[in-house]
Amino acid sequence: MTPLDSSAALWNPREHNRNNCEWKLTVMATSAVARETVFALRRQIAKIEGTLPERLEAPAGAAPVDAPRNPTADVTLQNPTADIPPQDLTIVRRGLAVAPPDAFLRTGAEGLDTALSGGLPKAALSEIHGAATRDAGAVAGFALSLVSLILKQGPRLPVLWIGTAEIFREAGFPYARGLHALFGIEPEQLLFSEAPRLLDALWTAEEAARMTALAAVILEIRGSPQRLDLTATRRLHARAQNAGRPVFLLRQAGEPEPTAAPVRLVLSAAPSAPRETIAGPLAGSIGRPAFTVSIGKSRTALPGQFTLEWNPDERSFEERRTGEERAANPVPVVSASRRGKDPAAASGAVLAFPAVGSPAPGDQPSPGERAAHRRPRRAG
Amino acid sequence: MISHRQGNAQRIAALDERAEALHLKRGMGIADARAMHPSVDVVEANPEADRRLLESLADWCDRYTPLVALDAADGLFLDVTGCTHLFGGERSMLDDILSRFFHQGFDVRAGLAATPGAAWAAARFASDRIVPCGEEEALLAPLPLAALRIEPDIRASLESVGLRTAGAVMAAPRAPLARRFGVSLLLRLDQALGRLDEAVSPRLPMAPLSVERHLAEPIMLTDEIERLVKMLATTLKADLERRGEGARRLALLLFRVDGAVSRIAVGTSRPLREPLLIQKLFHERLAALEQDIDAGYGFDLVRLSVLSAAAFDMQQADLAGETRDDGADIALFADRIRARLGDSAVLKPVAVESHLPERAVAMLPYAEAPQRVSPPKKPGKMQDTSSKPVFRPERPIRLFRSPEPIEVPATEMPEGPPMNFRWRRALYRVARAEGPERIAPEWWREAAGQEDTPTRDYFRIEDSDGRRYWLYRQGLYGASQAAPRWFMHGVFA
Repeated sequence: MTPLDSSAALWNPREHNRNNCEWKLTVMATSAVARETVFALRRQIAKIEGTLPERLEAPAGAAPVDAPRNPTADVTLQNPTADIPPQDLTIVRRGLAVAPPDAFLRTGAEGLDTALSGGLPKAALSEIHGAATRDAGAVAGFALSLVSLILKQGPRLPVLWIGTAEIFREAGFPYARGLHALFGIEPEQLLFSEAPRLLDALWTAEEAARMTALAAVILEIRGSPQRLDLTATRRLHARAQNAGRPVFLLRQAGEPEPTAAPVRLVLSAAPSAPRETIAGPLAGSIGRPAFTVSIGKSRTALPGQFTLEWNPDERSFEERRTGEERAANPVPVVSASRRGKDPAAASGAVLAFPAVGSPAPGDQPSPGERAAHRRPRRAG
Repeated sequence: MISHRQGNAQRIAALDERAEALHLKRGMGIADARAMHPSVDVVEANPEADRRLLESLADWCDRYTPLVALDAADGLFLDVTGCTHLFGGERSMLDDILSRFFHQGFDVRAGLAATPGAAWAAARFASDRIVPCGEEEALLAPLPLAALRIEPDIRASLESVGLRTAGAVMAAPRAPLARRFGVSLLLRLDQALGRLDEAVSPRLPMAPLSVERHLAEPIMLTDEIERLVKMLATTLKADLERRGEGARRLALLLFRVDGAVSRIAVGTSRPLREPLLIQKLFHERLAALEQDIDAGYGFDLVRLSVLSAAAFDMQQADLAGETRDDGADIALFADRIRARLGDSAVLKPVAVESHLPERAVAMLPYAEAPQRVSPPKKPGKMQDTSSKPVFRPERPIRLFRSPEPIEVPATEMPEGPPMNFRWRRALYRVARAEGPERIAPEWWREAAGQEDTPTRDYFRIEDSDGRRYWLYRQGLYGASQAAPRWFMHGVFA
């Protein structure tokens, strides 16, 4: 494939997502010559955009896992990722290149951090989307766990949560007792602002975004209002950058729209793992909160999906291993019975890490999986 | 001509000069008046509107003195003690008041005296008269009994014994008068003559501090008002500093040329005296009220008053000249939001000891919430473990203001969690459930006769997509005829 072809793919009007374009470029740039040409093009793009290009080696193993899940990267069919060694993948960062290393908030989940090349930007507007209003719990929970991570590192500063009256009515008002128990945010550290109209909420957020006396600002909006356009988000982003404080824009039931936020994460709830007891996982119980995070937009990251679990005691994230990894690394999920008997039928449903999106209880493991966890028992 | 209903008949309550010229009188029946002059125009009286008008006039009179009181339905008391020199003496002040009212289209009679009673009589019976101190008796003597502000039945009985003027009552011996006509007559008399003090209770609380500026040229633009606020606040700062106080509530009074008065109040969560910050607060308030304030032909008097003040504690700055206080930033921010969006725009949660989830957190406006002075306790040290429950109950991160009813078709066990439920017209399948956690109502708070509020059994529910909810069943199966109802109360992370 000639470089001309690749540049044609880059500016294909069908493709709006730049991340996908970059991905394609990097995948196609297999030979050294082609890569040189690609970087020449990149430099040119950076020059036009007036930002600094920076080369970054992609971490090994991060991209191939995500590659098959990229739905729009149709090029991957022609160039299977298995042919490319991960070291050859190169991501070019723009805009954020001048940021110091501590400008990122590490979530602690390695996969997500590496995909976002260091974490979420601390001094920026970050969008967190939920597909429907019923996802408000997961969206708010994820944003609050990020706030909790910030508060864990930094000084005790208050957090302001701004919402329109509509969203607080539809999705429920934040409950300080639950926030304290789950995220360790004291009621004294919380401030809420309920604005009757979106315009007022935006104004409050703009005023709050430039304050350094707040640890973080959460702005919660429902739907895709016209007022929240590129200009409005750019103002928020610029103020957040100047103040050095994060602004989390929670959008419930909103469509992804062009905004100035460098990162957009799409959140949904993930089935939680059962509670851990001394005797093993407790069947049918609801354990720690879990989230499915997909990167909707990022200047650096490839689209990917991660399942994170929040640990309220440690106040940290743990990444849950995905289904493929578990298949690749078979472990008996049900421990071998000491008495040499098969475990009771009811406990057959206990899966430590059920597959994402499938109901855990009553779900029979596939024949392959069952064989996988029978194997060691026979050996023992 | 204005009519009002008295007893069973429509009577004339007030009438204009042309109607008076037709020999119509107050208190005459409308039917009689119509019979005499069929073409008279009769309007129903509206005491509410009259009252509102009088109150707006009282607001306007605030420009002369902060002590303005309403007097019945048709009068105003102005306590101008110590104010007259600002307007060039008593006579010129009275003239100013009368001419301004005249230009606004009111027919006003005014009197000025050392006592409220004498001023009342002077206004109503000797128009535009200034009664020098000590001449109250001379003023009252020739006036009819009505000038004494006494009840009509006392007046009638006084007249029946031949005492027809105030002078005649004053000449009569006091003891028999008191015995026969009651104490109120002598009280009114003494008050009018200055033998007894009479307090006029002002309509509005008097501001401890206020500064104002009369303008030769009326101003209309918001920018100009804000600039003026800053100038006034600078003057105010010196006064506040002398008292060692800061303002907690401020009011800006804008007197429009045609008599309308706009009153704009802002509150602060900390005592404040910095002119720039005061200007900022009013900037937000004025921006929020932009539609409501009609500048008309402009404002010719602007007054800034401190409605309430509190002790202002000075802060020691470090050598770089900076004080480290993040709370002050937030307080100012909260004040500005509050100035624009109302008192409850910034809320602070305060934990309350209660089992009921909705009562366990109270949301207070930022300014009213208790400010924590001492830093929080360090974890691990000096921690009171006895009060902490061993098993912390799971609480949702979002709580609906009012629990939303859900439809639960069936439960596996009568006391168990639902298998599926319908909330907001969508069906949810319950994948896992934890519970119940029983929360009984607080019987010690319930009013008598309402003791039978059912208990709630709360369940944590995870649906098939992994979303976690907090549901409860109100009541028990079999406890009453009606099946217990289910509610959605919160959402977990």
